[in-house]
Amino acid sequence: MNHFGHIIIREWKRILSLKVFYLVMLVVPILLFSFYAVIYQKEEAKHLSFAIWDDDQSPVSRQLIFLLEQREALHITRRVNSEAEVEKLIQEGKILGAVHFPANMQKDIYSRHPVHVTLYTNAASLVAAKMVYKAVAEVVITGSAGVILKKLVKTGMKPDQAMALANPIKLNSYQLYNASYNYQEYLVPGLITVGMQMILIISSMLALNYEWKTETMQELHQLSNGSALTVITAKTIAHLVVSWVNFILIAFVVFPFFDIGVPSATGKFFVVYTLLSLACIGIGMFISALFKDVMLAGDTALFYTSPAFVFSGFTFPRWAMPWYDQYYATIMPYTPFLDVFFKVYYMNLPLHYAQADINKLLLFCAVMFPTAILLFQRQFNTSTNEKAIRAVHN
Amino acid sequence: MKKQSGQSITKLLLREASLVAKDHSLLLTLLIAPLLYAFFYGSIYINKEEQNVKLAVVDDDHSRLSRLLQQNIDNSPTVELIHFPNLEEAKEHMYRGNCQGYFYIPKGTESNLLSLKQSNVVLAVNAARFLPSSDILMSVQQICLTIGAGVRLQYYQKSEGMSSTIAMQNVMPVNLDYRPLFNERSSYGAFLLPSLLALILQQTLLIGLSESVAGERQHSGIKEWLKGGVSTGIWGKGLFYLFLFSAYAFFFLNVNYSLLHLPMRGNGFELSLLLVLLILTLIPMAQFIGSLFKSQLLCLQMMAFSTYPIFLITGYSWPFESLPVAIQWLSKLLPTTPFIQIYTSIVQSGASLWANPGALIHLMLLWCFYSAIAYVRLNMLRKKSLGD
Repeated sequence: MNHFGHIIIREWKRILSLKVFYLVMLVVPILLFSFYAVIYQKEEAKHLSFAIWDDDQSPVSRQLIFLLEQREALHITRRVNSEAEVEKLIQEGKILGAVHFPANMQKDIYSRHPVHVTLYTNAASLVAAKMVYKAVAEVVITGSAGVILKKLVKTGMKPDQAMALANPIKLNSYQLYNASYNYQEYLVPGLITVGMQMILIISSMLALNYEWKTETMQELHQLSNGSALTVITAKTIAHLVVSWVNFILIAFVVFPFFDIGVPSATGKFFVVYTLLSLACIGIGMFISALFKDVMLAGDTALFYTSPAFVFSGFTFPRWAMPWYDQYYATIMPYTPFLDVFFKVYYMNLPLHYAQADINKLLLFCAVMFPTAILLFQRQFNTSTNEKAIRAVHN
Repeated sequence: MKKQSGQSITKLLLREASLVAKDHSLLLTLLIAPLLYAFFYGSIYINKEEQNVKLAVVDDDHSRLSRLLQQNIDNSPTVELIHFPNLEEAKEHMYRGNCQGYFYIPKGTESNLLSLKQSNVVLAVNAARFLPSSDILMSVQQICLTIGAGVRLQYYQKSEGMSSTIAMQNVMPVNLDYRPLFNERSSYGAFLLPSLLALILQQTLLIGLSESVAGERQHSGIKEWLKGGVSTGIWGKGLFYLFLFSAYAFFFLNVNYSLLHLPMRGNGFELSLLLVLLILTLIPMAQFIGSLFKSQLLCLQMMAFSTYPIFLITGYSWPFESLPVAIQWLSKLLPTTPFIQIYTSIVQSGASLWANPGALIHLMLLWCFYSAIAYVRLNMLRKKSLGD
């Protein structure tokens, strides 16, 4: 076997024997990815605690309450009697919203006086508030249309014409690529890939400098004939293969087990996943070649990787961020990856739609690997000097 | 005896300060990261909400009504329309990520209405991205309902001969008056920022202090650290973090809140008490976690993966009741869970500290729990170090 093969196998042995590698690269993915999938197992938030404030106590209000009870998102837990009580219960975290049916509501509806049904939500819990709003708005809009329809039919209008006036502009809405706003489908692949990005950088940032710690740099020097190119290429292949093992875990274990993901886009996912892996390993190698001190490398990697999720625009779009944050987002490989991922995975589009973002990922590789090789070669040339090794170790 | 213990705690506080000053990793995590993260992450949401989300529009009707629809949608702060001659081009732009969906007005929309037939318009949004698609959907839905009400108003006035006042009363018999409390504009930034700042405070403390304890093990410092007793060791070391992170909390609540225009509706003193209680709970928790590692580097690596899972299961970003039962139990073991409940109710809804007695007792019990397990664990390590 040539030197190159030896370094690859040697790196795999290091990965399997050193805690700083195998815990991060093999144990964390299993635990973390399964955990993310389990959190959103219920897919949608349901049965949110909700209160009714019924000052009307009429058949109409009872009918509306019945319709609200049918909504899966809501769980009517209390009856209240004032706005102050609603606010108090929200402050105590006992309800997430409440609806108020005013006194004389039925009478006003029949006597052609408009009525106002008030919906209160705890908008400090935005996700729940939006779900409560959606459920209640649908009931009230349907109820309002029903009242108009009844009145128009009573005047002798044909039902289809009455319907056309009750709801003149019918909005047919389609939520493409995630019709039911399933949180598991939406968040879990994103959280897993951002986790993978952290795993790749936090492990590969030790690929070179940890050799000083284990006092094996000289051995590596001999094995590679002092070539940083050989070392970094071989170690990159070793780390890439382990990242493929994690791809199998993601695409063929976690996703099918929790019934998430887009199986028909797995091939394209593999391509962009490999590009992300290479970009992250390149950054890890660069950090590893830059800092001999493993703790400093660790802090740098942590600082660099941890904001990736929020800066990438996954939950809050990049165009809504200030310009300086938008620029900062471009220096993280997860940002172009996410844009590719949305297109080729969630939307299952052909790869050419993501060409520009793929080029950005390739640019990370093109910049990071040569820089890492140059930096490491300088270190490598001095590695035969025992004093230098001891000084760094001490 | 009491005096000796007091001296010992002060010594340990100074020892920790000198340890942090000498360890650049701790220095970065404890002195630079909290401030940098608070400004850095905070700035993302400085605009609080998204505006001008791009939506493609294809108008095959070219009528007064279709123009009115487009004008209304374009005038809403949330949506910005981009016009395309056909659906294929609109879809293509959505595929390329240039817009977040398309709105289609088919031929005959206005003529249908004029002949008392229902008009159908189509809105397709890219729901692969939740926030922009739901904002577009909400906005366009509202506009369609408003214009529909306008159509009825005209019908009642022209065909039924109603006066404008009577017609107005008939247009919308049941109206929804939506009052989002404690975040009036339902903005994403106002929702996320308060908890984000608290999470930065918590995570930098957990990572820094657990790293420090792992460092004690790595550099065989357990014996020296705990020579005055385990409790003295825990709180001597912890006192440094209590002072430091209390100062950060004060800074965040005054400087960051003001810069980010975040309202603080509750009582400042009660909030301070709550934050001190959180820090007091996190101190033994971090020491227990750190004591599980023999290497500072490994501790840093593992703790790096704790931030997102902790945040996701506290019930803040995803309703607590919607978590699986096992995860709910795990979540209850985290101080973040009761803390966030009390914190948001004080900060955002102006509640009193005592408005959530259950959560307050929960947090206090966790303080006792983590103090006990940190004590047991560190006592084991102390005995082991004395035996070596």
